[in-house]
Amino acid sequence: MDSFLRILVMGILLGGIYGLVSMGLNLIFGVTRVVNFAHGELVMLGMYGAYVTNRLLGWNPYLALFVVVPALFVVGLLIQRLVIQPLHEHPTMQLLATFGLVLLLQNVVLAATKGTAYSVRLPFASDTFNLGPVRLDHGRLLVLATTTVVAIGLHLLLRDTTLGRSIRAVTQDRQAARLMGINVERTFLITFGIGSALAGLAGVLLAPAYSITPGVGQNFIYAAFAVVVVGGLGSITGAYIGGFLIGLVDAFTSYYIDPTLGTAFYFLAFLWVLIVRPSGLFGQAGSERLGTT
Amino acid sequence: MRKAPLVSVLTAAVLAVSTACGGGSGSSAGQGGTLRVGEINPFSGPQASGGNAVHQGYQLAIDEVNKAGGVMGKKVVLIKGDATTPAQGISEATRLVSAEKVDLFVGCYLSAVSNTASETAQRYNKLYWDTNAVAQSLTQRNLKNYIRSGPSAAQFGQRAVDVVKDLLPGRLGKPLNATKVYISHEGSAYGTSIADVQRTGLTALGVNVTGNVSYDAASADLGSVIVQGQKAAPDVWVNTGYVPDISLLLRTAEQQNFRPKAIVLVGTGDNDESLKAIGAQQLQGVLVVAYPHTDMASSYAPGADTFVSAFKAKFGTPPAFPQSLSAYVGMKMLLDSLNAAKTTDPEKVRRTAAGVTKPTGSFANGFGQQFDQTYQNTKALLTVVQWQSGKTVTVYPKNAALPGAKLVGLG
Repeated sequence: MDSFLRILVMGILLGGIYGLVSMGLNLIFGVTRVVNFAHGELVMLGMYGAYVTNRLLGWNPYLALFVVVPALFVVGLLIQRLVIQPLHEHPTMQLLATFGLVLLLQNVVLAATKGTAYSVRLPFASDTFNLGPVRLDHGRLLVLATTTVVAIGLHLLLRDTTLGRSIRAVTQDRQAARLMGINVERTFLITFGIGSALAGLAGVLLAPAYSITPGVGQNFIYAAFAVVVVGGLGSITGAYIGGFLIGLVDAFTSYYIDPTLGTAFYFLAFLWVLIVRPSGLFGQAGSERLGTT
Repeated sequence: MRKAPLVSVLTAAVLAVSTACGGGSGSSAGQGGTLRVGEINPFSGPQASGGNAVHQGYQLAIDEVNKAGGVMGKKVVLIKGDATTPAQGISEATRLVSAEKVDLFVGCYLSAVSNTASETAQRYNKLYWDTNAVAQSLTQRNLKNYIRSGPSAAQFGQRAVDVVKDLLPGRLGKPLNATKVYISHEGSAYGTSIADVQRTGLTALGVNVTGNVSYDAASADLGSVIVQGQKAAPDVWVNTGYVPDISLLLRTAEQQNFRPKAIVLVGTGDNDESLKAIGAQQLQGVLVVAYPHTDMASSYAPGADTFVSAFKAKFGTPPAFPQSLSAYVGMKMLLDSLNAAKTTDPEKVRRTAAGVTKPTGSFANGFGQQFDQTYQNTKALLTVVQWQSGKTVTVYPKNAALPGAKLVGLG
């Protein structure tokens, strides 16, 4: 029973990580319909940002978010404006372009670091406390809390602000939104910026927990894609709940079946949802087709 | 119509061009009184630091031999081929033969690259002398040009068994047949083949193997491996993996309070990256089965000190990877064999090398020379280091350890 509880908590905490990484990915996909394969690399850049500010400026790694999040917002604007937008009439090319970004970003960082794995040590993040039979570490709890705050914040942003209403309008029907006077390109631009900034936030919070290498983003991106599909395309609630679902599937199958099969099982869930309910568990029915024409 | 992948098309084009130019024979003389050695290693990509470390070892050995008059009366020249993937192993080996006219090959930090590069070398009847790739399958292909002076995966696995058999008894407070060992490993052929040897060897010793768990090295969470380990309640935890997953595992183990009496890492975990990722406190007492480090007794590793001095003089820093020393020794063994064979013909060089027997402790890393029928050097012995106050100390075999070096913090 103790093992079950511990795996349950590990799955929830892992779900917090997956949810945070997928939040920005889902926002970008929901609005622009661009599958950003380079989202993991944006997380990676956030991790290096935490490392650099920690080593060069001596900052607490978490404080890096005040630099990294705005910087990644700008990176997102640049990607949308210089790479995605010029290819707006060629969705397949947009897909390939983001894949090209994966290789570009990984190899640039590789050239700069010569392949050396970096680490950020932060005792607060790795310190633990007991909750019954379960040991919890501050780092992952902070990620879980941040994921919750981000989900609520995004929900309020989309519901209660002019920008949010523009984003929702563009998500539902970009042609109608344009006819209503909404600047669709600007909405895409800001959405890509916010999604990228969220990737940077995830990178900063995850930096103390992982060895930082050019390929570290790939550790999260497959799960994030599964979260987006299972939770619901373009749904913030879906990304939040989907993160926990995928985290729990990963943790339980890894423990009770085989640790090498965690990914296989959550992609089984991914395929099942794609076939049975293409819009995802919390996505609006038909959303998978929105904005594609 | 399906389009062929670009890499395949380019590779085919290179192969076609090089075949048209003629492959050359295994005993070609090289250009202008030089012996041209083609080196296959990753010089870009995530493994570039490892490839460069191996290259530095080769270069030192070649400098030394050239100063002494070269090989077969010729100056030895090393020509680099950058290969980070199996496909690049083919294309670079082909380029080195066709464009650079190399006489033989040496490599490689990556087993998968060695695999394809050596097969390509075979097509041109060129020797492929391996110093640093460890995959067990490499010597099981019956490739007529392949020989390995460095250790195999089985030797890594066996060394972990030796640790349990020779190093730990008396320190765990129980006999071998009451000792419980938990094995975990990353799930590719590398980790699995080493773990298989460990499980078989430990079971044969009568040790109770209470778990053998594989995991995905790219996983974002390895908590299940630790919880399974705690359920197994081992005295010894043996893990084979790479730097990032070992770091994640040890961090999770610390958080979940999983600390068996002995932790044995295999293959990596003995360098500065691990120290920075895990910290000296958590690494204290951890044993690592590794390529021989340079802190060894001169009676066991004659010339290790000289190697370190020469390395510092040439590159400005001490070697960061122990692989440099084994690459240096492998190159020395190769050049000795070429001098003795007086040819670069693969079969003749292999037979010459296999005809020489040198006891353990003959080379600067403690290696001896004795090739078996698969042309695997059976005297490429790995050592065991222990983390002590943020530094690695060679502790096994006992005759390799420096005077005063001793095990700490076990049991």
